[in-house]
Formats: sequence, C-alpha cells, structure tokens
Amino acid sequence: MIDPAWVSGLSAILFILGLWGAFTRKNAIVVLMCIELILNAVNLQFVAAAAHHGDVTGWIYTIFAIAIAAAEVAIGLAIFLSMYGQHETISLDEVNLLKH
Amino acid sequence: MAGSGIIDYAMWIVLLPILAFPVILFLGRMFNGLPQWRDGAKEGGIISLIVMGISLLLSLLLIMEHLNHVGSASIYTWFTSSWWDGSTAVMDTKIFGVGVYIDHITVMLLFVASFLCFLINVFSIGYMNTDPINKDRNHRFYAEFLLFCAGMLGMVLADSFLWLFIFWEIMGLCSYLLIGFYYERPSAAYAAKKAFLTTRVGDVFLLIGLIMLWDMFGSLDFAVVFDAAAIQAVDAGSLQLALGMMFIGAVGKSAQFPLHVWLPDAMEGPTPVSALIHAATMVNAGLYLVARMFPFFAAAPLGSMTTLAIIIAMVGGITACMAALIAFVQKDIKKVLAYSTMSQLAYIFTGLGAALWLVNNGYETLATVAFGASLFHLFNHAMAKGMLFMASGSVIHEMHHAHHEVHAHHDGEDGHDDHDDDDDFDAQSMENMGGLASRMPITATAMLVGSASIIGIPLIGGFWSKEGIIANAWQVALKEPIFMIPAMLILICAGMTGFYMSRMWFMTFAGEPKTEVAAKVKEQTAWIPIPLVVLTFVTLGGIIFAGLHSTNWLGDSTGGHFANFFGDHGIVAELGHAFANHDIFFFILTYVTIGLSSIFGPMLAMALYGGSLDEGQKAKGWMQWLINLNSQVKTNFHFDNSAWANSSLSRALDNRLYFDAWYDAACLKLVVGLANMASVFDRKVIDGAVKGIESSTQAASSKVRSLTTGSARDYIMMAALGTLAIFILIWGAA
Repeated sequence: MIDPAWVSGLSAILFILGLWGAFTRKNAIVVLMCIELILNAVNLQFVAAAAHHGDVTGWIYTIFAIAIAAAEVAIGLAIFLSMYGQHETISLDEVNLLKH
Repeated sequence: MAGSGIIDYAMWIVLLPILAFPVILFLGRMFNGLPQWRDGAKEGGIISLIVMGISLLLSLLLIMEHLNHVGSASIYTWFTSSWWDGSTAVMDTKIFGVGVYIDHITVMLLFVASFLCFLINVFSIGYMNTDPINKDRNHRFYAEFLLFCAGMLGMVLADSFLWLFIFWEIMGLCSYLLIGFYYERPSAAYAAKKAFLTTRVGDVFLLIGLIMLWDMFGSLDFAVVFDAAAIQAVDAGSLQLALGMMFIGAVGKSAQFPLHVWLPDAMEGPTPVSALIHAATMVNAGLYLVARMFPFFAAAPLGSMTTLAIIIAMVGGITACMAALIAFVQKDIKKVLAYSTMSQLAYIFTGLGAALWLVNNGYETLATVAFGASLFHLFNHAMAKGMLFMASGSVIHEMHHAHHEVHAHHDGEDGHDDHDDDDDFDAQSMENMGGLASRMPITATAMLVGSASIIGIPLIGGFWSKEGIIANAWQVALKEPIFMIPAMLILICAGMTGFYMSRMWFMTFAGEPKTEVAAKVKEQTAWIPIPLVVLTFVTLGGIIFAGLHSTNWLGDSTGGHFANFFGDHGIVAELGHAFANHDIFFFILTYVTIGLSSIFGPMLAMALYGGSLDEGQKAKGWMQWLINLNSQVKTNFHFDNSAWANSSLSRALDNRLYFDAWYDAACLKLVVGLANMASVFDRKVIDGAVKGIESSTQAASSKVRSLTTGSARDYIMMAALGTLAIFILIWGAA
C-alpha cells in the first residue's frame, strides 16, 4: 500500500498547478478545468487523510464532492455558453461587467 | 365632601361657557351666512348671552349665600384622585383634585368677572354684529369670548394654585386669539404676539414660584398651603422668594412696569375685547394672585416678608406715575384708557403692598382696611373702566358710521364702499372728535361718570377706594420711611389722573366738532346703550357698596355684610372716615388728595381743552353746566402749552418713554447674538459632523470600489487570499 504521505504530496502539487492555471489562463473553460483540478486535489487530500486515520468519513466526503463538482461543472458550462451568446467570446479578460 | 346649597352647582359657572365654546364654533361653521343665524342668533351672540346669563345668575346666588355666612372660606370638592404609598392604612394622600374655593376675595372677583362679562356680551352684540368687517366670523369671536370668560371665572373659583395656573394660561391663549381677531392686519397680529410673549415671561416665573411652593408644602391646594401652622413651619426666606416669583407673573398679567409694554398694543383687538381684557378679566388676574398671597403674609413670622411687600408697592407706585404721564399725550381715545388702566391697577398693587406690609407687621385691623380698599378699588375700577371702554367703543362705532355717511355723500351715490376704506381717517383719534356731548348723550354721561369714578370725585365709586388706598399707603409710610416713595407717587398720580381723564372727556365731548364726521355722529346702534346705562348707575351707587363694608371687606363680619348698613361700619362711618378724620394728618391728606384729583387736574384740563359746544347744540343739564364751566375756564385761563407739547419729554412720552425701542433693541442684541452663535454651532458642529461622516464614507467607498476590477481572475485571487487568511487565523488560534 502506498504511503498516504505520497498521496498528500500529489494533492499539493495538483492544487498548486490548478491555482496557477486559474490565475494565468484566459480561456474560461481552461480556468474551469483548473478549478476542477483544485477540487480533485482536495478530494485526494480527503482520501489520503482517510487512509491515514483509518476512518471512512473522508471517502464519503469525496463521493459527495465529486457529485457536487459534476453539478458545478454543468452550471459553469451553462454560464460560459450564455456568456458566449452575449459577448461572442469566453476570454476572461474581455468580460468585466462587474467593474465598478 | 359635598357642601350644601348653591355651592354644589358652582362649577357650572365655569363648565357652561367651556361647553358652549365648541358648540358655538361648530354651529357657526354649519350655519355661517344663513339669515336666521346672522340676525336671529346674532352669529352665536345670543347663545353666549344665555350662557353668561346663567353663569351670572349662579354667581349672584353663590355670592349672596357666601355673604350671609361670612367668615371662613367654603370649599366644595368635585372629585379628587388619591394615591396610597402603603405606609398608612388609609388612602389619604391627595395628589389631584378639582373643586371650588370661595372666600371674600373670590366673591369680589367673581361678581366683577361674571357681571362685566355679561354686560360686555350685550355690548358685543351691538358692536360686533353691525360691523361689516366682521362679516361671517363673529361665531369665532363669541366662542373665544366665552372661553376667555370661562378662564377668568375658573381662575377665580379654583381651589388650588394648580388650577389657578391652568385657567390663567387659558386666558393667556384667549387674549392672543382675541387681540389678534383682525388677524389680517399686521399690527393686530403683532400686538397679539407681543401680548402673548410678554405675559409668557411672567408666566414662567409664576410656574417657578408654584414649583417652589409645591416643594415647600407638598401641595398647591389652598386648603393646605393657607394653613397657618404649615406656613410657620417653612422657611420664611424661601417662601418670600417663591411669592416674589409669583408676583412677577402677576406683573406680567396685570401689565405693570417693567412688563407693561403689551397692554397699549392690545388695543388692536375689537373694543369689546379691550373692555374684557382691561376691565373684567385678564388684568385683574394678577391682582387676584397677589391678593391670594394675603394668608402667607398673615401667618409668616412678624416682619419677615416686608421686602416683598415694599417691592409690590414700589412697582405699583412707579407704574402709576409712568402710565399717567404717558396718558397725558395720547391722542387715541382707547390708548388713554389703556394707560389709565395700567395706572389704576398700579394703585391697587400699591394698596395690596400696603396691606401685605401691615399684616406682616402685626397691624391686622389696618391691614384688613387696606386690603378691603384695594379690592374695592379693583371693583370700582373694573366697573368704571368697563363702562369707559364700552363708551369709547360706542364713540368709535358711531364715528365709523358717520364717516361712511360723509364719505358716501362725497363720492356720490356709487361711492358706497366697504369698511376698509383707503383714506387715513382715524375714528379713534380724539383730534377728530369734539362736541359729542349733545350728539351722544348716553355715551357722554357714561363717560363722564366713569371718568369721575376713576378720578375719584367725592361720593362717586372710585373715590371711596382710592382714598382708602392713599390713606393706607401713608399709614405704612409713617411706620416705614421707604414706603414714602410709593405713597408720594400715588398721591401725585391722583392729580395726574384728574388731568388726563378730564382731558379725554373734554377733547371728545366738549368744544366744537373738529371734523365734519364728528358733527354727523349720533347714537343709533341698538344693544350698545344698555350696559352703559346699567354701569352708570352701578358706578354712581358707589356709596351703597361702601355701606356694604366694602372697604372693610375681610374684617368685621359679624352679622354679615347686609347688617349695619348705616351704622358703625356702614355709610356714616365711611363718610366720617373720609371727610372728618380724627387724625389731623389724614384729615389734611384727604383734602389734599381731593384738591389734586378733583380740582387741580380737571381745571388744568379745562383750561387747555374743550370749550363750548357749536351753535344750536345743547347737552343734557348735568353735562351742560360742566361744559359752560369748561368754556369759562378756557376763556379766562387758557395758556399756550406748545412749548411743553414740543419738548423732548413730550416726545419721549409720545413714544411711550422708548420702552418698546429699548426692549426691541435688547431683544435684538440678545436674540440675534444667540442666533448667530446657534447658527455657527449648527454649521460647524452639527452640519460638520453629518458632512464629515458623509465625506469619509465616500472616500472609503471609492477606495473599496477600486478593488472591484470586474476581472474574474482578480476575484479568484481574492478568494484564494481570503481562504489563506482564514487558514492562517485557524492555525494561529490552534
């Protein structure tokens, strides 16, 4: 069995990659993918911690998180679709309606 | 609790006019302009006449009942509310009550108020309802009139200083409403405001005095505070201070120096209102309040309250002379009467001051005489001045009528105009009158008798009381030298009264008519002569009232006031007292006073004013001899007074000794200074605070606003940083 520390480390790397992608990429879909990466990094962290403690709760949380992430992706893609309908672009640099 | 007899119904004397007040207002609103309402009910005048009639009847019954069992006060308590503090078995701490308190002071004032209010009501129906300027708003007049009367009657009947104060304020309100009855005139609105605010100054002090009394006695009920043991238990110094505060209230209400400025302006109201305020009600309220202080002075330690008594007499003496001086130069017939009112009220204050001094120094017998003389002068003055005001109203009214006739002739048939004509004819100025004695016999007679009573011509009304006041002031002056000042002042003022009252009569009624209008005047308005005739007889009958022990009102009460009419304390005693005093000092004093007031003053006026009537006019016999005398004196002793008339003193008097200017200047300086300070405070502190909050919020918000870039990446960054911060916090806490 793999040491949960390795899983934890992988999770940290994934998290940083996701965060970096979310900050730097222009394409909204890529940013969404990066956010999914962050989410899954957290899921991995849950799994690692569950294995470390021998407690099933972390796994249950992971299942919930995946289910909710699926819904969240659906909403995110729907927003991008309507954004494209309005602005003909999904570049985050072009969309700043909330500016003061 | 409940007494017996008519006193059970005494509260209706007050309640009826109060209840009728809204009734007349509503009926007036409903029926305004209907002929039945205008001519039948006289726009409410008949209703108020009936109400006042019932009040008068009840008052008379009450007075008769009280005079027959003289002595102590009768008290009727309508209801009380009590309060139980748990310390005793019974609930006996009375905190609030309504009732009626009747003693000799009440009786005197009650008669004056109800009798004159009734007569003035009769007069008003003649005066107000034939005046086109009042078209369709007389219901307001009668409603306010009734409320005013209710205020006075209630104040007189009140059984505690609390209720006295409440009714006092009702009168203050009504004086504002009635003086400002012609509210479309700026001068009337100004006069109303002035009267209200000036008396307000006094009222504040009255309230302070009452609070001090409450603090000392724990109650304001007459029955409690007049208890001799209770008065001796409190500190005489603070009691004197409290009474002094209340006296300032009386000074404001009775228009004494230095709060007298409102009274001459109050002439802006309709003439019945002048009669009401200056004779029957409002100005007597202050006197009543001072008269009510008598038990305090009687029970306080000997000589402990002399300062206040001297102050009261001093204020009286100064006001008497000052007002009489100003009356010398007035041209408006009502203004002369206004200043005369101030002067005569000042007499009463001096008399009360003397009475209070005497009783506080242990001269009970003399004190009751002085007190009786003061109250009797109040009575005589009220009757005479009520009559004089109504007579002057009659003159003014008929002058207006005559003016319209003359005016219509001049302009041809189409020139019939309304009351508010543009020309500057002054129907109140005595310089437009003259020679009215033959044209208005009833009015002239009333004016003559009223003036004689005010002057103090022997045997007529005011003589008895004025002699009494002067004699008693000197009585005190012999014991207390400083009292010499007011005593001397009112003695001189007797001569001055003789001059200005005679001047008014001769200018108005004797001589040739000075204008074409005056020549056309005749008595023609119904209702107006009735009160004049009644009051003429009341004033002439002063000797009868003197026989009813009026100058010894509080004293000798065995057998009641109807016994001994001719005997020891009756007419014979009064005559002996007045004309053949055993004490040589007072014997001389009497004749000096008579000489000054009845001979010197009138003769001086005769030499300067009046003269014989115009060709073909002849007055009634009792006035014709006077006019003949007048013309003889004028032809033989006339002298040129233009030097005096153009002097700076005369100008100062014409400007009322510049009191109004001084007060205005003082108020302006003070009020404008305060207003400037308040304005700076408002701008800098209050506005500054509000604006500071606003601008700092705006600055902060524009900073915060720059964070909302609208870029999703920035928001993600913020979310990440925020999460990081939360983690750091949690780690720090753990």
